[in-house]
Amino acid sequence: MEANPCDQRYYEMLEQLQTLDFALVELNLYLNTHPDDLRSIEQFNQLTQERTKLANQFQELYGPLQNFGRAYSKCPWEWNQTPWPWQV
Amino acid sequence: MESQLRRYTPFRGPFDPCPPVPFKTYVVPPNQFITFQPPDLPQFSLQEALKYGTLWPALFSPYESKCKGGGK
Repeated sequence: MEANPCDQRYYEMLEQLQTLDFALVELNLYLNTHPDDLRSIEQFNQLTQERTKLANQFQELYGPLQNFGRAYSKCPWEWNQTPWPWQV
Repeated sequence: MESQLRRYTPFRGPFDPCPPVPFKTYVVPPNQFITFQPPDLPQFSLQEALKYGTLWPALFSPYESKCKGGGK
């Protein structure tokens, strides 16, 4: 069954992805100036793994998040199908 | 110090066209007082971090908007 992009699951996963991405940005900037902080590095790696898993799940259901080889696509080509980010 | 808000009174000249403003406020966020962020600071949960805009409560600055309620 084609997952309808406007269902609840779509927004939940997007919000979770946004939460993970924000924490990853914070940790990344923090680690730029604290290269030896092992605990933060472990947290960063753990969040990265979680984020990749979630992104793959999302892309499996609703199509690619990024293009130009950063995500797979089913047939027919999914990249230029709606909804676009600004339509969501 | 209780909040990050500080206050000052703008200059009042004898020829001011408008009534004098009692005071104006500005924010001094915590990152002004932390030269180098110490490791292992306590962290928000991920959802809270997204809401508050930072991962560490020690660096959080509320910066409330002036239009609803505040201002004077």
